[in-house]
Amino acid sequence: MADLLDTFNIAASGLTAERVRLQTIASNMANARATRMPDGSGPYRRQVPVFEARSVDPFGTELEQAIARVEVQGIKESAEPPIQVYDPSHPDADAQGYVSYPSVNILQEMVDMMSANRTYEANASVVDSTRTMALRALEIGK
Amino acid sequence: MTGIKLFDGMYDGLEQVLDLRSRQHALTAANLSNADTPDYRAREIDFDHLLREVMERSMDGHENPVSEAEIEVEIRELVPWSRDGNSVDAERESAKLASNTLVYNALVTGIDRRLAMLRFAASDGKI
Repeated sequence: MADLLDTFNIAASGLTAERVRLQTIASNMANARATRMPDGSGPYRRQVPVFEARSVDPFGTELEQAIARVEVQGIKESAEPPIQVYDPSHPDADAQGYVSYPSVNILQEMVDMMSANRTYEANASVVDSTRTMALRALEIGK
Repeated sequence: MTGIKLFDGMYDGLEQVLDLRSRQHALTAANLSNADTPDYRAREIDFDHLLREVMERSMDGHENPVSEAEIEVEIRELVPWSRDGNSVDAERESAKLASNTLVYNALVTGIDRRLAMLRFAASDGKI
């Protein structure tokens, strides 16, 4: 049974990771045209979640070590430079008339969103089938 | 006088297989939850080989059931084809998950039937 409970935790870690990913995508899309940060440091930077596979039982057998859950290590800022657009009428335009916009590509975010959705669904179905298995095992001998 | 073996080696074997199936389940879940982790390699075990070992050993009349720690498990890592170095194939893993759940439930049904036979015998054939 412990294994099945482990499986719940693994699937839950996948669900959490995909939810965080979806949140950063929402943040990126909402701020696609944000030219100012609250501290006045230029345009919004695209946020990227960093995922890391972490062994569930690092001291177990080889097989147990191979089983890894996913962990959100943090949300980092993308290193891409901002996009320069010539628009002298914009209040945030620089001396040459260029405005720095965040390096957010809406299409890329949409594709990422669909991928996050699918992986979320896959993890949710793991929870579902694990539950079926655990309940079935509890019925042994009934 | 030899005692009648009520719970024969069959149960040990079935229990072992259930255990292995739930491990396989955990491994598939691990692969699916890391579907978006860069450089993560999908991991697989040679399940049929493991199963054969377990069944052969429990059929040999071993007193104690074998633990899977005694059997060498070969863990294969799938080669990535995508740019981020991740080799998880969501369709493949989902299919494995479905078939594993099915076999697990079938095994539990099998254990159930054997217990029902014992119960039938123990109640003088009255249900």
